[in-house]
Amino acid sequence: MPRHPHNSPQHGPRPDADAPHASQRPSPLTAAPSPNSARSADPVLRLVELTRVHGSGATEVQALRGINLDLFPGELVAIMGPSGSGKSTLLTIAGGLDKPTSGSVIVEGTDITTTDRKSLAALRRRSIGYVFQDYNLIPALTAAENIALPRELDGISARKARAEALAALEEIGLTQLADRFPDEMSGGQQQRVALARALVGDRRLVLADEPTGALDSETGEAVLALLRSRCDAGAAGVLVTHEPRFAAWADRVVFLRDGSVVDQTLRSSADSLLTGQAADL
Amino acid sequence: MKTWFHSWRAAVRIARRDAWRFKGRSFLVLAMLTLPILGVGAADLTYRSSELSVEETLTRDMGRSDARISDPELGGAPLYQGPDGNGYRPVGDFENKPYPEGPADLEKGVPAGATTLEDSTGTGKLRTSYGLLPTEIRELKASDPMAEGIMRLTEGRFPQRSGEIAATTHFLEAGKLSVGDSVTARGLDTSYRIVGAYELPSDLNTDQVNALPGTFLAPLDKALKADELPGVESSTTHLVKISGGFTWNMVKETNKHGLVVTSRAVALNPPALSDVPLYQEAGESPYDSGGGIEDEEMVILATVVGLAMLEICLLAGPAFAVGARRSRRQLGLVGANGGDRSHIRAVVLAGGLVIGVASAVVGTVLAFGLTVAVRPLMEEYLGQRFEGLDIRPLELLGIALIAVVTGLLAAIVPAITASRQTVLASLTGRRGVRKSSRVLPVLGLIATALGAAIALYGTTLSSQVTLVAAGSALAELGVVAMTPALVGFFGRAGRWMPLSPRLALRDAVRNRGRTAPAVAAVLAAVAGSVAVATYAASDDAEQRAKYESSLPYGAVSAVVDDGDSRDVPAVRDAIQKNLSIDVRADVDRVLVGKAGCRMYYGGEDGCGSVEIAVPKANVCPLWAPDVQDAELEFSAAERRKLMKDPRCEENNDYSGIEAGILIGGPEVLDVLGIKDPAAKTALADGRAVSFNKFNLQKDGKVGIRLIMDSDAAQEAISDGKEAPGEVKSIAAHQVKGDPRSYGAEVLMTPATAKAAGLKTAPVGAYYSTSALPSSEQQQKLNGDLDKLGSSVSLRVEQGYVGDSNTTLLVLTVFAGLITLGAAAIATGLAQADAEADLKTLEAVGAPSRVRRTLSGFQCGVVATMGVVLGSLAGVLPAVALRLTERRSAMEMFQESLDEALGTPSSPYTPIVIPWETLGGLLIVVPLVATVLAALVTRSNGSMGRRAVT
Repeated sequence: MPRHPHNSPQHGPRPDADAPHASQRPSPLTAAPSPNSARSADPVLRLVELTRVHGSGATEVQALRGINLDLFPGELVAIMGPSGSGKSTLLTIAGGLDKPTSGSVIVEGTDITTTDRKSLAALRRRSIGYVFQDYNLIPALTAAENIALPRELDGISARKARAEALAALEEIGLTQLADRFPDEMSGGQQQRVALARALVGDRRLVLADEPTGALDSETGEAVLALLRSRCDAGAAGVLVTHEPRFAAWADRVVFLRDGSVVDQTLRSSADSLLTGQAADL
Repeated sequence: MKTWFHSWRAAVRIARRDAWRFKGRSFLVLAMLTLPILGVGAADLTYRSSELSVEETLTRDMGRSDARISDPELGGAPLYQGPDGNGYRPVGDFENKPYPEGPADLEKGVPAGATTLEDSTGTGKLRTSYGLLPTEIRELKASDPMAEGIMRLTEGRFPQRSGEIAATTHFLEAGKLSVGDSVTARGLDTSYRIVGAYELPSDLNTDQVNALPGTFLAPLDKALKADELPGVESSTTHLVKISGGFTWNMVKETNKHGLVVTSRAVALNPPALSDVPLYQEAGESPYDSGGGIEDEEMVILATVVGLAMLEICLLAGPAFAVGARRSRRQLGLVGANGGDRSHIRAVVLAGGLVIGVASAVVGTVLAFGLTVAVRPLMEEYLGQRFEGLDIRPLELLGIALIAVVTGLLAAIVPAITASRQTVLASLTGRRGVRKSSRVLPVLGLIATALGAAIALYGTTLSSQVTLVAAGSALAELGVVAMTPALVGFFGRAGRWMPLSPRLALRDAVRNRGRTAPAVAAVLAAVAGSVAVATYAASDDAEQRAKYESSLPYGAVSAVVDDGDSRDVPAVRDAIQKNLSIDVRADVDRVLVGKAGCRMYYGGEDGCGSVEIAVPKANVCPLWAPDVQDAELEFSAAERRKLMKDPRCEENNDYSGIEAGILIGGPEVLDVLGIKDPAAKTALADGRAVSFNKFNLQKDGKVGIRLIMDSDAAQEAISDGKEAPGEVKSIAAHQVKGDPRSYGAEVLMTPATAKAAGLKTAPVGAYYSTSALPSSEQQQKLNGDLDKLGSSVSLRVEQGYVGDSNTTLLVLTVFAGLITLGAAAIATGLAQADAEADLKTLEAVGAPSRVRRTLSGFQCGVVATMGVVLGSLAGVLPAVALRLTERRSAMEMFQESLDEALGTPSSPYTPIVIPWETLGGLLIVVPLVATVLAALVTRSNGSMGRRAVT
């Protein structure tokens, strides 16, 4: 599996990483895009001319306008933008929870805009993992069972699914939480378990919608560190966030406004983008 | 298959934990599903336990003996019998002659080498500390090993010498006696000491005493006969023990001596039908005891179970829908993690499965507990001991499965609804527009039309009640299916309403998916109740119209049935003492034969019977003694003509006194309400009073015939002749105006009777009361009469007393409770949805009470829609059923008019709408629902973040 050259799992939190552009930290916004070596592999997620129109006539709203994005294994892309800019819409369409008005979404080579509902569900079980802002876990299931859920839905035996879930918990160092129910865990622990679930089995694409939104900054950092390390281990992640601080963990930051990508480099400042003064590519 | 299993496992796990997390809701559904299982399961266990095996039944009847030989009193003539000893007939042709009579010789029937034990039973009145108790006296050496199993000793021992008896526990309780006490029999001076208590396991409610053979029945019989009283009627059988058992060949041999045998060996191993002469030669067919459940009963049972399941589904369905709605985000998460629609359905359906299985287990366990706990009560109630708990695993499994199936059925619609939500909508909590199915109302319309057509056909063309019922049931289901569409019509009324009811109504109409099942549940319960109530009210009106009083209003009559004159004065006094009596009129009867002779027992022991000698010209030709078959001997036209003849008018009045001949004073006329001064004068003058002009001879006298030889009388009548007997003629006065006499034909004073040469005996009394007896007075009187040990026919005329009021009340309460329950569940569901609206309302400054009133109206709206639709749906089938009945009554009336048999009264089949029940359901129940829901709702909602699940 292609791996981001400067981000092996043992590197720890991204701001302290010894990346080629480490000298330019702590402002992550100036970080360079991922080396081309990573792009030699096929993208895990590819968005092509994606548009989404809500409603029609007078109530018509252009949520997304011709978005193009490639996400490669080992890459973490942050998506930023003001409220209503289309961040969450982009994420839900990327995960197949919503259909675009036009354009295509290709996940690991499959165009999910044309697949049927059943195959799409199967794709979510096997290829796409979601992490939401909060309440990610099913209250009736323990941590291990939550992680095992997609595998069990896929028809794997409970014993095997549990073994995989325990392995996933071990990787994130939360084995002791295996048999706890969500209401017996802290918010940070819940988000980390949700992350583990998003990547259980062969899943390589994590779509995280403000995963730190309901957490304090310290816990938020820990969750992001975990997401970063999972990407360093070969997964691909899309992170929707408001906070430039968290976006700094990403390899690339995509700025959206009114449904369009206004910048997807790290050269301009997030603040200027948010105020509408984005520098050109 | 394996994949399916694994994903279901996850679904069941989620459902199981959820059921545990939301205990209140789970308990509600569990209770609804458990109750029927508990009831049906306990009924099955009790029914099966109360069923005895052949062996057990035999042991309770004949103990450890091999057979019981009994004498059918056919004079010892050879006979044929069925294998179980129940059916028999003498050998030979008895088409045109009576069966032989007389006792057979029991000893002759006992095979060589057999040992026997005598078992005789008769009755007597035993004096207890309470009064006189009619008791079975059974002479059987109960301590003999052969008798073991017939009587179960509970205290003391069985009698061992004369002067000792054992008694059933029921007798001891009824007579307030205990072991060690002594009792005497009426008419016998000897006293008997009770040395033990026992019970008859198959007949716990029998008052019986057990004595050694020859120590009780014979002395009592002798003493009674010495007093010129009827002796003890007793019957004797022999228990037989023989090595190798009493075979079928031995039974047939015994039959030759005119005896019937119940044999253990034969009962356990019945002979082939070809080997039973009763069936082969006498041409009788084996008696089918039935036993199994009939087809029709099965259909009724299936319908009841089906409707109950529908009702439970309609009630429990919304509860699952509440669950699914509350755990919308959880289901969204399952979807986001790759669960497709079938997985979401599985999670919700698993909720039904989990609670269904839990209900099945809990219901079955409780059924066992209940059966064990109420077993003594059931044994008392059924009057027999069970032989252990008889468990039929397959039956219980089938009953338990009903809960599982009901649970799954109830969860189907919520499961489908939940699975149709998009994952995104579930995750964001967005409330999409929920479209209700368009197919269902169409199917409902078709079912309603079809059902109505069937019911209509049943009503108008075929008069088949089953068709009407089946059609109505189908139409009912159709209306239930149409509920979502019907609910839509109510929405139009919203425009004219104030804010809270308008919001509630619009909300209910917009969210038909959740409103409809609750409304349908109310509809089904109310429709059923209203249908039965309408039918009951109509039937009640019909019965009231048909009611015929047996005495003038407020009057009381008492007749000692067995004619044992010794008890009469005490009976007369007991009534006078206990009721508010105005006038008491003592009545005697004509006695034919010696002093101990009873009424209607002509032909025995020198006793005879009495009748009025009606002049031949006054007898209706249709009923004349020489007419064998009126239908053959008269044409329909003749019969129709004769039916208008006053002689042929039918009269169902019955006085209870033989031939309607009353011996009494002028007070009898007062009590009977006969206002004819000339009648009183006639009584004073020593004449009789006749209440029926056809009884009078041409010379104005009434003839009273005393018949001593009843056989000769029977023969004479069948030959078309008058019965032989002495006729006493008495001058009589015919009462003017033909007033109702309530069965009395002739009245005369004792002096007149004596002068005419008639013997009389006290028989009872007539009373008029100043106030109708209260329930307490009647109970007290019944208690006092019981103490006298006499069989008294007591009539208290209170006018028509229907029992439908209780039925109507119970139905109203039942439908009301279901309505409240369903409305409450629907309100809970609406509340789960309405949180966002309420926040908006609060934000725009609505007072906090709006939350309360909205919830109240939400509940009220569901209740109102349900009862309105249910009342309509309930009245119609009841009316259809009544119309069917009216039609068939008219047909029967026409038929009897055409055939001219009897005098039919024109049918009266009213249709009465039970307004009180309807009023209660239509007004009170929705009002109560509204107020209750408003009261239990908190007026301030929490402003927390969105619900966790």
